[in-house]
Amino acid sequence: MMNVFQNIKTRIVLLVIVLLQTSLIHANNIEKPCNNHEPFKVLCDLCGCSTSSGSFGFGTLSNANFVGVRYIYQNFESRNGIFENSPTSKEHFNTYQLWAQIPITNSFYVSANLPYQDLTRDFNKVKENINGLGDASVIGWYKLPFYKKKDANKVDFNTEREASGHSLQFGLGIKLPTGKFEESLADNINPGFQVGTGSVDGIFSLGYNYGGDKYGVNTLFSYYLKGENKNDYQFGNQFSYATNLYRSFATEKMNIMPFVGVSGDVYETITQYGETIADTDGNIFNASVGSELAIEKFIFGASYTLPISQSLFGDNVESKQRVSVYVNFAL
Amino acid sequence: MKLLKYTFALLLSVTLASCSTDNDDDNGSEDLSGQTGELILKFDNGVGDQDFIFGTSYSKSNNESFKLETLKYIVSNVRFTDSEGNVFTYPTEENVFIVNELDGNTAGEIYVTLNDVDAADYVSVTFGVGIDQDRFLLGAEGQGAFLDEASEEGMLWSWATGYRFIRLDGTYSSDTVTDAPVNIHMGSVGTSLDNYREVTLSFPNTVLVRETTSPQVHIKADIAKVFDGTTSVNFADGYDQVHTDNVETPIIADNVNGMFSVHHVHND
Repeated sequence: MMNVFQNIKTRIVLLVIVLLQTSLIHANNIEKPCNNHEPFKVLCDLCGCSTSSGSFGFGTLSNANFVGVRYIYQNFESRNGIFENSPTSKEHFNTYQLWAQIPITNSFYVSANLPYQDLTRDFNKVKENINGLGDASVIGWYKLPFYKKKDANKVDFNTEREASGHSLQFGLGIKLPTGKFEESLADNINPGFQVGTGSVDGIFSLGYNYGGDKYGVNTLFSYYLKGENKNDYQFGNQFSYATNLYRSFATEKMNIMPFVGVSGDVYETITQYGETIADTDGNIFNASVGSELAIEKFIFGASYTLPISQSLFGDNVESKQRVSVYVNFAL
Repeated sequence: MKLLKYTFALLLSVTLASCSTDNDDDNGSEDLSGQTGELILKFDNGVGDQDFIFGTSYSKSNNESFKLETLKYIVSNVRFTDSEGNVFTYPTEENVFIVNELDGNTAGEIYVTLNDVDAADYVSVTFGVGIDQDRFLLGAEGQGAFLDEASEEGMLWSWATGYRFIRLDGTYSSDTVTDAPVNIHMGSVGTSLDNYREVTLSFPNTVLVRETTSPQVHIKADIAKVFDGTTSVNFADGYDQVHTDNVETPIIADNVNGMFSVHHVHND
C-alpha cells in the first residue's frame, strides 16, 4: 500500500512540475508593442492555437498512459482581401508537442499538452514566420469502466469484476495562455496565425472508448469555453469531436493498429470589445486514416487528415490537410 | 488518496474560475475628453464581387463591357457620428482627399489617414463625393494646396467650371463597337449645376478611436454601380462621354453616391 501511495505522490509531483514550468514560461513572456499593421482582417483560432484541441485527439488509440512527442503539420489558404479574386496567402503550420497521459489512480488520470509552434505565412512572395511556445493545456479525467454482467448461476470466487472493454471518460481541463497573442497579427485574414490565443479557456470533455481483442473505438467530444484575452479579444467557443475505429493485429513482438476516423470542429463567432465580428464563425469536418505501432513500451503513430467539408470564417480560410506523427512511451 | 482528491479539486476550481473571467466594463466610465487618435479609411474599389484591376474587362447591362485605365474620385467633408449622436467633423481645410486606384497597396486598398480624431465610440461615417458649393465659393485661393493637387491629378477642368468629382477613363465594347473610348468626368458645373452628394454609412461594429489605437474602416466601392446603380445607363446612349451635361451628370452623381458600403472595421 505504501508503495502505491509513493507512486501516486511521484506522479503528482511530476504534474506539478509540468504546471509550474508552463506558468513560469508564461511569466517570462515579454509584451511586444504591435507596430506592423497588416491591411487584413480578423477571424478565428482554428489553426496554430488549437492544435491541442479535441479534434486532434488527446492520446493514443487504446487510451493508454504515456509520455511522448507529437509533430503536426497543417497547411491553409487564406484570402487576403474582400473580393472573390483577392490574393491568397499560404500558411504552413508546424507544431511540436510534448504530450502525456499520466495515471493518478485506476479511475483518474491527467493528460497534458505543451506545444511549440513554428508558423510560416507566404503572401506576395514575402514569407513571415512566427514561432514560440504555444498554449499548454491540462485535463483531469475520470474514467468509468463498464463490467461484464456476472453469471448468477455460477459461484464466483473471483472478487475482481471482468472488464467489458467499454468505458466512459469525463474530462475537465484548462488551456493556459502560455503562447503569445499579438494583436497586430489578429488583423490577418487567418487569425489562427498566432502561437497562442492569450486567453484562459475551460475544457469540458466526454470520451467513449471500446477496446476489444480485434476492434476498438475511440470517441471524444470536447467543448471549449473561451476566455477574453487582455486585448479584449475573445475567440468563439468551440465544439470538437473525433471518433476513430481501429483494428488490432497483434504478433508476439508488436501490435499494429490501423485506424480510420472522422473529426470536426464548430466555431462560434469571435467577439471584440463586447461586439461580435461578422464572418468569424465556421465549421470543418475531416476524415483521417492512420496507424499505430506498438513495440514493447513504444507506440509509434501516424495519421493523415483531409477536410471533407468546411466553411471557415466566411469561406476566407481553407484548410488543406493535416499530417501528424508521434512517438509515445507507455507508462 | 487525500492528496489526489485535493489535486483534482484544485484543478476543478481553477477551471471554473477561468470560465467566469468577467471583463470589467470600462467602456462606460472611460474618460475620453481631450483624447484624440488616428482613424484610417481604406477605400477598396471593386466591380461586383471582383477586385478592380486596371485593363480588365468588366461586363455591365445591355451587353456592354468596359475596361479602365484611370479610376479616381474626390472624397470630402468626412465626419463621424458617435454612439451618443455627437458629430466629429474633420477640420475643413484638410477635409478633402483624392482616392486614386493607382495609390493602392498590393491588395488594391487606398488609405485615407485622419489624424487627431476625437476619441469616441463611432457608429457611422458621412462623406461627400466631390466638392460642395461652400468650398467652391471659397474661391481659388480658399482651396489651399488642394487646388494644385487636383490640377496635377487631372481632377480640375478650369477654375470657372470647377472640379471633376470622379474620373474614369478607358474603353467600352458592345455588340456593335469594340474598344470605343469611355470618359466619365462628372462634377458640378460652376454654381449652376450642383452634383455634390453625401452618403452616410453605418459601421458593422463600433469604431473605438483612442489615443493608443488606430482603427480602420474598410470601405468597398462598387464601380459597377456607376453604370448600373440607382439608374442603369448605356454607353451606347451617350454615357460613354459624360462631362458637363445637366441630364447625364446628376444621374452619374446619384449612382456614384450609392456605390459605397462599409465591409468591416478593425479596432486594433
